[in-house]
Amino acid sequence: MIATALLILHGLIGVTLLGAITHQMVSLLRRHTARSGSFIDRYTGVTQKTFTVAVVLLYMAGLLIGAVIYPNYRLNVRIPFEEMRLGWAVGLFELKEHFAGIGASLLPLYSYCWKAEVAQSHHRQRLALTLLLGFIVWWDFLVGHILNNIRGLE
Amino acid sequence: MTAPRFGPTTFAIAFCCTYATVFAMNSPLFLYYPLHGDFRWGAQPLHGAGPAIAWYGLMAKAAIVATAAALCVPDRLLGRVLRNSAWLFAVAAMLVCVFLLRPLFLH
Repeated sequence: MIATALLILHGLIGVTLLGAITHQMVSLLRRHTARSGSFIDRYTGVTQKTFTVAVVLLYMAGLLIGAVIYPNYRLNVRIPFEEMRLGWAVGLFELKEHFAGIGASLLPLYSYCWKAEVAQSHHRQRLALTLLLGFIVWWDFLVGHILNNIRGLE
Repeated sequence: MTAPRFGPTTFAIAFCCTYATVFAMNSPLFLYYPLHGDFRWGAQPLHGAGPAIAWYGLMAKAAIVATAAALCVPDRLLGRVLRNSAWLFAVAAMLVCVFLLRPLFLH
């Protein structure tokens, strides 16, 4: 019961993180600076400092909750996957956990690169880190969703 | 006495290199056995304890090495190219993981 509640919380944090990092990615990739008040302008008009803090906190919260419910996955989900010969599903989850760990190591640098005083000098690095974190967040969310559809926690 | 400055670039590079190496060498700091809540140092399997989780041990080892490196090697000591390409180390570590896990997708 607690594991299911934590899994739902893990998913909700994932949705929120997905929204935050995608806002930031689209905002970075969009070069158009003139604002017309359209939906796209509003979508990309993010307060970068606030979003950076939100992304870091949400990422760490999602990672910690994922680490807490990991034993449930190992005992109640992965073993049935192996019995069903769903090696690809086990592989997808393994990649999800490894990517999440590697992504966590980028958070201090990501946070530093979004500081106003290094905005000019670290533009390319900021772009690369944000896109990479965005990829990891999307990957982890989609894989988690697919695997939960095959077999969720009990 | 001033506190040592933390180098985020050094941390990211050291973490990614350590993580990929430790994963490739199957050398986590410890294994966790969730069935009975047992911990064991290193990668030695504990027979009869059920399935093991290595990820906590991988993360812990990479984090310890990266934190030590980030406190000892300030970012300014890294070359400019290295400073600007920390994200490439993360991509490389991810590709190492994909390569090492390929048997799961091929069978």
